[in-house]
Amino acid sequence: MQKNLLLVFSSLIAALVSFAQTKPEETEYYTPVPKIITPGANFAAPPSDAIILFDGKNLDEWVLLKDSTATKKWTLADNAMTVDKTAGDLQTKRKFMDFQLHIEYRIPENITGSGQARGNSGIFLAALPWGAGGYELQVLDNYKNTTYVNGQVGSMYKQAVPLANACRKPGEWQQYDVVWTAPRFNDHGILQSPARVTVFHNGVLVQNNTTLLGDTPYIGQPAYKVHGASPIKLQAHGDKSEPISYRNIWLREL
Amino acid sequence: MKNKIIPVFLLASLISVSMLAQQKGDPKATEFYSPVPKVVMPGAATSDAPSDAIVLFDGKNLDQWSSVKTPGAPAAWNVADGILTVNKSAGNIQTKKSFTDYQLHLEWRIPANITGEGQARGNSGVFLASTGPGDDGYEIQILDCFNNSTYVNGQTGSVYKQTIPLANACKKPGEWQTYDIFWNAPRFNDDSTLKTPAYVTVIHNGVLLQNHTELKGQTVYIGAPFYKKHGPCPIKLQAHGDKSEPISYRNIWIREL
Repeated sequence: MQKNLLLVFSSLIAALVSFAQTKPEETEYYTPVPKIITPGANFAAPPSDAIILFDGKNLDEWVLLKDSTATKKWTLADNAMTVDKTAGDLQTKRKFMDFQLHIEYRIPENITGSGQARGNSGIFLAALPWGAGGYELQVLDNYKNTTYVNGQVGSMYKQAVPLANACRKPGEWQQYDVVWTAPRFNDHGILQSPARVTVFHNGVLVQNNTTLLGDTPYIGQPAYKVHGASPIKLQAHGDKSEPISYRNIWLREL
Repeated sequence: MKNKIIPVFLLASLISVSMLAQQKGDPKATEFYSPVPKVVMPGAATSDAPSDAIVLFDGKNLDQWSSVKTPGAPAAWNVADGILTVNKSAGNIQTKKSFTDYQLHLEWRIPANITGEGQARGNSGVFLASTGPGDDGYEIQILDCFNNSTYVNGQTGSVYKQTIPLANACKKPGEWQTYDIFWNAPRFNDDSTLKTPAYVTVIHNGVLLQNHTELKGQTVYIGAPFYKKHGPCPIKLQAHGDKSEPISYRNIWIREL
């Protein structure tokens, strides 16, 4: 009997609740108000809240990995920076967690070599001082140049094959638009949520919220090690092919 | 006691040996050669259709679209000067083709002479899967939110009445605006229960508004969103009933994922 009463009572409540949902205003919220951002004139131009990491004028936001005090970093010319393979990797002074990044690169028209030794570089979305140096979005000339698919342009190096090969020809500027969600760790260093990445290469989706298994060593399997906010790093790869260039680098913290 | 320690010790040594082997190992062990990603020629600009895109509207005609109100009837919106303008009396229009997961590009413009306020100012929307007649489906809101406020889960770039956008990146009325949308359709089990929810990423004028947002279900005007089993669906554009001047669309293309 008591059970029946309870049943009747709860159905009554359920009916009342569903009756209550009769006004559209009940599902309309007024806070929090999203911040107002003036978008760029085009997809490549920085929105009003972007941090400009490189606008072609100087390398003030960057330091060499092996000597943070060096004043001679990479080569600046024509609003672009060109990798200096002898100087080594270049990374941001600032550290970041989650962001939307825009970056453009160009493989030189006279590029030579094949496989991984042809315009190889990379963007470490969080640079780490161990393993292969962080979570690397591969940069490589894959225009009619094949290599292992988890090492081609648009791959998360040695981990996630891109959804497409959207390379432009050497000599043309190409663009990456990246949404990076950094991994989170608890106070005990245990992974709470893995890193996730979405990559748009020349307007083509190549990584769609890919979940990473950790940072990838050159040899072996990816694994997570605790870290916080990290710099973004551009790779000076040791192969003998002609160095590539970067320009128009900005990001929005999320 | 002894018996327990020995296996643990053995296991530990095995692990360190295998770690050592990995560090000294062959880098080729983690290099894969298939499946090979398809080669796609990107457009000259981000807004231009890549080589594998299905062009849904290129400014010439509405051959890819039909009426929602009268299934099978042509889409009776206005095409002039390479752009498509909402015809509010004709109602919503939707694609003839059905889609599951995709990357969608479209451009829209609020007329420079727009009037009205709140939800009655340049209101339209993109239904990422049109699950039925009328406004059935999952709607990404389009509205003039340039100096026009409304409920935040109903402003431009919201999953209508569900998810607030990360930013307001509206351009002025009269300017063309872009949407780049990645849609992962929901999947359902044989018994019609939800297997995996829908996810959406929205980039508005180059600014991220939705980052792989999980949807709670189809959009409803009154009450809570819900899931109901469906397969591939058309994409639908909304003719909203408010009295403000109709908005326009152009350059609509899609890549199936």
